[in-house]
Amino acid sequence: MSEQRALSRRRLLASVAALPILAATADGRSISGHLPWSPFAGEPPKPVSPLGWYFFNPGEVAAIEAIVNRLIPADELSPGGKDCGCAVYIDRQLAGPFGQGARLYNKPPFSPGLPTQGYQGDLSPAGRYRLGLRALNDYTHTSYKRGFAQLTPAQQDTVLAGMDGGTVALTLKPGFSTKEFFEMVLQNTMEGFFADPLYGGNRNMASWKMIGFPGARYDYRDHIDKHNVRYPRPPVSIYSAEG
Amino acid sequence: MRQVLLAVAFAVVSSPACAASVDAGRYQSVLGDCEGCHGKNLAGGVELMTPFGKLVAPNITSDKQTGIGNYTAENFRRAMKDGVGPGGKRLYPAMPYPAYAKMSDADIADLWAYFKTVKPVRHAVDVNQLRFPFNLRFMMRGWNMLFFRPALYAADKAKSAAWNRGAYIATGPAHCGTCHTPKGFFGADKGLALSGASLQGWFAPDLTGDPTTGLGGWSAAEVAEYLKTGRNAHSIASGPMGEVIEHSTSRMNGADLRSLAVYLKDLPASPGNGGGASGVEAQMKSGAGIYRMNCAACHSLDGRGDNILFPPLAGNALVRQTSAETLARVVLAGSKAVATRETPTGPGMPSFAWKLNDAQVANLLTYIRNHWGNRAPAVSADAVKKIRTSLRSASH
Repeated sequence: MSEQRALSRRRLLASVAALPILAATADGRSISGHLPWSPFAGEPPKPVSPLGWYFFNPGEVAAIEAIVNRLIPADELSPGGKDCGCAVYIDRQLAGPFGQGARLYNKPPFSPGLPTQGYQGDLSPAGRYRLGLRALNDYTHTSYKRGFAQLTPAQQDTVLAGMDGGTVALTLKPGFSTKEFFEMVLQNTMEGFFADPLYGGNRNMASWKMIGFPGARYDYRDHIDKHNVRYPRPPVSIYSAEG
Repeated sequence: MRQVLLAVAFAVVSSPACAASVDAGRYQSVLGDCEGCHGKNLAGGVELMTPFGKLVAPNITSDKQTGIGNYTAENFRRAMKDGVGPGGKRLYPAMPYPAYAKMSDADIADLWAYFKTVKPVRHAVDVNQLRFPFNLRFMMRGWNMLFFRPALYAADKAKSAAWNRGAYIATGPAHCGTCHTPKGFFGADKGLALSGASLQGWFAPDLTGDPTTGLGGWSAAEVAEYLKTGRNAHSIASGPMGEVIEHSTSRMNGADLRSLAVYLKDLPASPGNGGGASGVEAQMKSGAGIYRMNCAACHSLDGRGDNILFPPLAGNALVRQTSAETLARVVLAGSKAVATRETPTGPGMPSFAWKLNDAQVANLLTYIRNHWGNRAPAVSADAVKKIRTSLRSASH
């Protein structure tokens, strides 16, 4: 016991000794005269390629495309979620830092959080999708004898509405409810539908055309005093050269 | 108090007899922009990319091994005015001795008095990295015979004292023509003085009185303001001129700046840029869309910019230069304005190389050069491609 205490004291002293060093390295760079600048500087976002799948396996692709097509059905307002690239958007996000929960602290101990605090367990977003889509397929195989993608649109709507409304319970993990899974997919689908096309969704800026959002423009001074007049120019993406 | 007295006593005792000429010499080094090439501490190392290869500015501190600490006053005078170093070594005219030859011996003597007080820095510089055969210094003897006409500045009695002072500074110590005067095949001045020239991936603009490409649209006060602060209602300096302003013109006194402006404003007009583009409707239409998408937020749709931060493009002579080299460079690589005591912000222009292809840059430049009343030759995608390639290879 005393051995342990001595060790921890030594560790404490060592860490205190390390503090000034860490503090010194963490200290900001001092800049005088000019701000630093270099030619060709910038970190332009890299547009995703629409080809292939980086995270989802073929079964998951079928399921997620069916889901986004029911959350955003093709109608007179817009093409469906699949044709808008929502599944591609989610795939690329799950294959990247978002999917790994790169910006989340995900070490134990895990305690239940408030609803506003979101998921509190050890699963990454990618892990939750993998688990959720498998559980969804298990559920439909049990209830309908086929995968979610093979259900009729009406049956798919029934399952999704049940997940949202609490009447469908998938076999997930403690701390990760069916409704949470549904809300996560809905949230990411909306992101794919409305985000800049460079991220893989919102193909042809369909959602922006639908709501009349002019996109990544940043100068409306020629229009700012024209009240109650619809902005006449089509939407532009971050990667649009002309507008 | 005692420290102050000691310091004063020390200063009095240690000052050479000609203290005034050290200060005057320091000012000569400002007029001559020595730091521009030889570096802040004058220990050299700034690389000059010439059409003949690379020259690196030598160490001109008072260090005896690697600097010019062993020079005599006469060695220094000959290097400055004849382009000949100790032992008959020929200098390259990247060292602007053809301009410094106009300087008075008194100014050169002041400058030498100052250089002797410059802190020695041990820094060996490999100066001559020119390609064969340009790396052979004796060849400069022939170049000098052909092109070098050393002559002291001769005052023009018909002009004012301010004009003559301005002409002396511009053609002598400040060596404006080294960048702004067109060069012939052998790198010697050729054509109308200060009518604009291409070098190091920039186009040093026309400074003559032409209203389209030159300073015709600037008042003398605006010229002086630009040289002092790095900006005026028409333009914001960046690139090599930004460096000249930082190291040299921003530190010149007001009378000299006004004199420079008087002289420059009196230069006869160049022939201009050859007129506007024609038959480029498609380029103009595309350019308008590119401008709206990428440029209008800062430079504004009417091209008038915002004179605190964003230079106007409408009516801007820089936009209408014969060569669009600077414009293409600034759009592709971005640019950073000079920060001076008066205007310390130093606004930046972002790089668009990641977004706009060569044809798009060409369309955009053709548009800004021919819209809002601007008239200048069209820009081709090929020209932009060449500039992009050379900028990329220079920045790696």
